[in-house]
Amino acid sequence: MEKNEFLQLCRDNSLAGNHKLSARILPVVREYLLDHSTDKLPVIWLETSDSGDNNIAFMNATYPYLNHVFTNMIDLIYSNTFMAAQGSDALLLLEDTVNHFRGRFTLVVEGAVPTKDRGIYNVIARTKNGPITALEAITRLGEAAQHVIAIGTCASFGGASSAAPNVTGSVGVSQVLEREVINVSGCPVNPDWFVGTLAHLLMYGKPELDEYNRPKLFYGFTVHHHCQRRSYFDKKDFAKQLGDIECMFSQGCSGPRTGSDCPYRQWINHVSWPVKVNTPCIGCTNPDFPDGSAPFFSPLPQKSKAEKDDNHKQPPMTEGEV
Amino acid sequence: MSPQKILFSPVTRLSGLLSVELSLDNGIITEADVSSTMFRGFEYIMRNRHITDAVYLTQRICGICSTAHGAVASYLLDQLYDNDISENAQILRNIMFGADFLQNHIRHFYFFGLPDFVIMPNQPPFLNQNCSDCRLDDIDNRRLAGHYIDAIKAAEKSHQILALFGGKAPHQHSFVHGGVAVAPTADKINQALALIHDIRNFVQLYMMPDTELISRCYEDYFHIGETPGRFLSFGLFRFGNKNNQVLWKPGILNGCRLDQPQLDFIQEDISRAWFERSESTEQGEVRPAPRKPGAYSWTKAVLYRGQHYEGGPLARMTINGFYNGGTSTMDRIVARSLETLYITELVEEWLHELEPGEPPINQKKELVQDQALSVTDAMRGPLLHSTRLQGEQIERYDIITPTSWNFSPKDDYGNRGPAETALVGTEISAPEFKFVIPGRIIRSFDPCISCATHLFDHRTNTIDKILY
Repeated sequence: MEKNEFLQLCRDNSLAGNHKLSARILPVVREYLLDHSTDKLPVIWLETSDSGDNNIAFMNATYPYLNHVFTNMIDLIYSNTFMAAQGSDALLLLEDTVNHFRGRFTLVVEGAVPTKDRGIYNVIARTKNGPITALEAITRLGEAAQHVIAIGTCASFGGASSAAPNVTGSVGVSQVLEREVINVSGCPVNPDWFVGTLAHLLMYGKPELDEYNRPKLFYGFTVHHHCQRRSYFDKKDFAKQLGDIECMFSQGCSGPRTGSDCPYRQWINHVSWPVKVNTPCIGCTNPDFPDGSAPFFSPLPQKSKAEKDDNHKQPPMTEGEV
Repeated sequence: MSPQKILFSPVTRLSGLLSVELSLDNGIITEADVSSTMFRGFEYIMRNRHITDAVYLTQRICGICSTAHGAVASYLLDQLYDNDISENAQILRNIMFGADFLQNHIRHFYFFGLPDFVIMPNQPPFLNQNCSDCRLDDIDNRRLAGHYIDAIKAAEKSHQILALFGGKAPHQHSFVHGGVAVAPTADKINQALALIHDIRNFVQLYMMPDTELISRCYEDYFHIGETPGRFLSFGLFRFGNKNNQVLWKPGILNGCRLDQPQLDFIQEDISRAWFERSESTEQGEVRPAPRKPGAYSWTKAVLYRGQHYEGGPLARMTINGFYNGGTSTMDRIVARSLETLYITELVEEWLHELEPGEPPINQKKELVQDQALSVTDAMRGPLLHSTRLQGEQIERYDIITPTSWNFSPKDDYGNRGPAETALVGTEISAPEFKFVIPGRIIRSFDPCISCATHLFDHRTNTIDKILY
């Protein structure tokens, strides 16, 4: 729309006093923004089967805080949690984004994808033409996106939503898409891992990924490798109970088989992490979480899945460490 | 105007997935079907696991009120193992729980509720806001929209307090059965005091005046979205070495009559939910039935003495005599802000009462009973966990979440749940208000659909009689 046309539109509607002005102008402005916001990553964020913990974790980002992420890094156009639009107005934005940014937007999926009964256990929206299942939405949007990021362990590998007996047949996003998915796992994700992945995409392109398609930058070494209590482990000085200051291996710590930098990055403005509060790491970034970490308070050799070693998703213990 | 249907889907700015179908006759909502559209089956997931896993695993039900699940699971384990909780542990648990309340309420008010009443900058994530009834003048509007950014930090600081003592957030680690694993040292207490000081300033200087301004500009919402005044709370903030004292008392309020809640009056009703009873099992187990005709939600109706009850800050504030207003949309919003202020004061007080020292935890190793039930209030209403064990393995684990109360679908008799009741009778005076007004009403309940993705089967529940 040309400037003159726009001014005429404003004049025509300015006296109506019934909100028609904004109703006419909003779509114009929206179109302008959709066309001009290419310096940031246009993002569609779909919430599927999870607890919503990853969007809460995202809100805990510090330096950059959430508002900086919105202003400088991403254009979060569709997000069930944050978007002001609602109902069919929200779905319209989803369509607009796919049309305008085909091959250029980033799809962020938070949650597992139920596949049983054609995915009916998770419906992201109902329309006059019927329900849109998470399975359907992810399949469609996944093909049109430039990048697909799975945020949290549910989206990455199925997580708690796919824990046994998995009555909904839930799986991670990569299992329903025939394309690369960047997995930023964690239950929840540490906001640094997610915002850091976005930063890498923006500044340097795709980050280097590990065997589970997670950015090596954050998941490249085990918790055990980094742990402040490693010297206790080496001296076989194990905690007798939760609350002790010694190594938490005896209390069920999954650190030796869990890739993440929790020990030095820590959580919520970097103030603490589970072992620092005298409890075990429960391996929440792992492909087989939570089943592979259960029972949480039993030492690794006694964990139910670790014994069987029949799960292809299961990461091995760090070689030479245990 | 002839009767028409409005499909309000997705309802955004909440946790989880929600759709609402409204029938409109002459501009008045005559029917509302509130439908939660996700199912995870958490109670199936809980089966055959070690009971101590409940304290971490049930937190994964809900990311925005995870500490509530961790808390109630800890109380459950305290009963099963007959733990004695030291005073320092009681205080620390309540500090963490309180901090998570603050995070929830601040985020609900500013991130989810504010764009219902304030015009936000026209950029992502606020595109297509369609706030066709925003009444604040320019200066006030700009000021309140700016507070969104302040709220980001205040809520993050609330989770910093939780993480200082709980290791991380959401899904904290140290509030477990037998007490708290962290040592409340002077540095941590001091750090938390500084944080709560900032949060309290934010609540006093921003959230309370903003609530007051919105309630003044939208005064008609004190008469929109009213419910029949049936309130339920399981009480909040437990003290005593057996979790036996409750700071904010429980109650079941029906009109003017206030009683103690009794579990054996609680029933579930699956007539309009996507579940069916399996005839093949002896106990008539409830199973998901996504194609069941006439059903429209994954949330079951939960009833107390055959009636729907509303939970949340308004219920707690009213039952405890802290708030003496109505039952409307704005009453729910005002009560939540008031509760936020009260909790900032409590958390600060508790921090002063903490004695620096060793981790206040003492877990007993032997089970003394094979079933237990525990309750608390979560941020958005009453929460119940109950379990039956085989050794230390979970045989059954049942959960009734706040969303099952507030977002109940209709029962067998066609009686509507609280959110549905609040919607019906509302006037949608112009087509452009079709999402605006219902959106405000629905969000005042602080919906959390992740919560409701579960099963509860009262017929096989072995715990009965009086809760208190």
